[in-house]
Amino acid sequence: MHRRWLSATAILAGIAIVAAACGQAAPSSGGGADKGEIIIASNFPTSGADRASGRGPEAGVAYAVQLNGNIKGFKITHKPYDDAVNGVHDPQKGAQNFTDMVGNTKVLGVVGPFNSNVARATIPVANRASLVMISPSNTNECLTQDFPYCDPKPAALRPTGKNNYFRIAAPDTVQGPAMADFSIDTLKATKVAVWSDNETFGKGVADNFGKRIQAKGGQVVVRQDFDVKSTNDFRPFLQRAKDAGAQAIYAGATSATKGCIPRAQMKSIFTTDIPYLGPDGIGDTQCIKDAGDNATANMYFTNAAAEAAQDPANKALIDDFKAKFTQKEDLGAYTFPGYDCAKILLDAIGRAIDLAGGKMPTRDQVVQAVQDTKGLKLSTGTYSFDKNGDPTSATMAFYQYKGGDWSFVKQFSVGQ
Amino acid sequence: MGTIGEAIRQRRSLLRSGGTGLILNAGLVLLVALFGILLIQRIYDQGASFFLQILAFALANGGIYALIALGYTMVYGIIELINFAHGDVFAFGTFLSASLIPIFGLAEGQAFGPGTALALVVVFVVTMLVCGVLNVSIERIAYRPLRNAPRLAPLITAVGMSFFLEGVLFLWKGPSNVHYPDILPSAGVQIFGATLGVKEVVVLVIAVVLMVALALFVDRTRLGKAMRATAQDRDAALLMGIDIDQTIAATFFIGAVLAGAGGTMFGLYYNTSVFDLGFSAGLFAFTAAVFGGIGNIYGAAIGGMFIGIIRSFWDGYFDSAWTDVVIFAILILTLVFRPTGIMGMRVPEK
Repeated sequence: MHRRWLSATAILAGIAIVAAACGQAAPSSGGGADKGEIIIASNFPTSGADRASGRGPEAGVAYAVQLNGNIKGFKITHKPYDDAVNGVHDPQKGAQNFTDMVGNTKVLGVVGPFNSNVARATIPVANRASLVMISPSNTNECLTQDFPYCDPKPAALRPTGKNNYFRIAAPDTVQGPAMADFSIDTLKATKVAVWSDNETFGKGVADNFGKRIQAKGGQVVVRQDFDVKSTNDFRPFLQRAKDAGAQAIYAGATSATKGCIPRAQMKSIFTTDIPYLGPDGIGDTQCIKDAGDNATANMYFTNAAAEAAQDPANKALIDDFKAKFTQKEDLGAYTFPGYDCAKILLDAIGRAIDLAGGKMPTRDQVVQAVQDTKGLKLSTGTYSFDKNGDPTSATMAFYQYKGGDWSFVKQFSVGQ
Repeated sequence: MGTIGEAIRQRRSLLRSGGTGLILNAGLVLLVALFGILLIQRIYDQGASFFLQILAFALANGGIYALIALGYTMVYGIIELINFAHGDVFAFGTFLSASLIPIFGLAEGQAFGPGTALALVVVFVVTMLVCGVLNVSIERIAYRPLRNAPRLAPLITAVGMSFFLEGVLFLWKGPSNVHYPDILPSAGVQIFGATLGVKEVVVLVIAVVLMVALALFVDRTRLGKAMRATAQDRDAALLMGIDIDQTIAATFFIGAVLAGAGGTMFGLYYNTSVFDLGFSAGLFAFTAAVFGGIGNIYGAAIGGMFIGIIRSFWDGYFDSAWTDVVIFAILILTLVFRPTGIMGMRVPEK
């Protein structure tokens, strides 16, 4: 009994010391600016194998904060969080990070997370505290839109009933129609054969691709869903597609669900000039390996992230970034989307400060300010948000197989 | 005691006669006929060349399933054990031959000539022998010490062996799909508008040659006779001076040799493999063995062909999301009406 009291006292004392330390830290770090400090947090997987994905956007946020260190008298600082455990993004770790951010009243917004499953775990945590979050890379449509197959529903992720989550990547529902437009307008392939891996993502993009093809006057000549675990032979499907006059094959699948194995098996059935199309799930080296020596220039995939480097107006910005951030992982596909998210947040915080009469704005005011973002022109696109938090015109990029790797073809804005 | 023995004899004779009644058999025939009518309708709509093309794919598919199924059925026939590790031995065969192909100087996209054909034969033989040795080792380590243990014990070690091999394959080439080099030429000959590809011919010819060789081996050789005797009555075979351990080991060896050949053909034909391939492919091959009548090598060959044909035709003519459902529905119906499988009746267990 005696001992227990002793240890309880020790714990209390420990807490008191920590609290005191925190209390002391606050005024000293806020000393640089007149009105106080506003923290922009970022949450990406930045250690281990996932560092290749997560460090880019983190560097983008750091760069944006570096360029905008002071807004209307408030000092802006960047606090990075890492959601990787053993090198792999972890929803639980993400939720812990967000709990920490929520507890820090100076944090007025978060850029991240990188992965849709981490977003699923962290949106409710931020939502309860009205903390705004903007993701550069989440594409899962169920994060913002309600479809019958969504579990959990977007409403369940937002316990307060008020949206606090925004993203600038196009949701997965946009990829299929975008590729359908590309197929008909650019490739002139109006008769297509479509297959899917029968999973949520794959079947979703395949269905949306087919719908748009038909809406544009094209024809889906064969439509099949495979149990990819037990299917190794795609030849009957391919033969059927050929006999029906298919001018292109669309794979609603990822490399992990045999997305590009039919491409290898097409060799003895189709000539190599028949395009093979798919979502971002096939846009990796595994797909190229699986396609074998039938990996040709007629393979295309869509990607929901815009490439900042494609716009000549961004050249000075990118050069400046490269001069300041020199690590190998700093400049990745999502560096400038991350930068843009931070810019959206900074812009919104500026307007929220005005709304608060020049004082520290509340988190609710920042959420509202992000929602009110209208036509903000940034490095990867021009952004406004709909009521779900999706970008009203996201950018879709197209990639083509060329000389051993995927290379950029073009990108354009797609409405929803 | 007498009544129990009598009951068992009755049950056996019932099984041998292959059915639980005329009506049920008639029902099966009726279902097959209905499906046949539906299929014929579709075939008519799609045209003859498409039918021939799908048939070529189906036979190649079936040949590969049949080769795997033989290993299941032989082992079951001789020691009444479902060798769950067999599918993984097959997957090991795909991995091994994929690694051997570059070693023997074969590469994707090179011209196919007598030299490459010879190298490919060497790859086949090495893969088959290594798979055989692997399966014999599995038998020695995990099954032989448990031969007289209760039935469940070796069943569990078989499951364990399956997972063990899967783990080894995972460590070997990782979780992703493994691309298998496309060595065989994609060319083919035109027959009535369908293309009979070199790949289909190679797969089918090798499968048929191996199956005929196996049938002759079991039928004509001393070891084959010993295998049949051991399958029928192990104790009696022992009394007749047959080396039981050696005979059983030989059975495992031959079964795995066929799986090794099947694995190489699988890779050459589908150009892909993955560490857990043994589970799904093994499941269907085992289904084929049961479908044909487990323990019967002719049944396994027919069952494998049958499953390949259902799969390809369903993918080609109907909705492929239903392919697995259809295969297992047919399996269930067959077993309900004919508990011993298609061939379970005419030939005694082997």
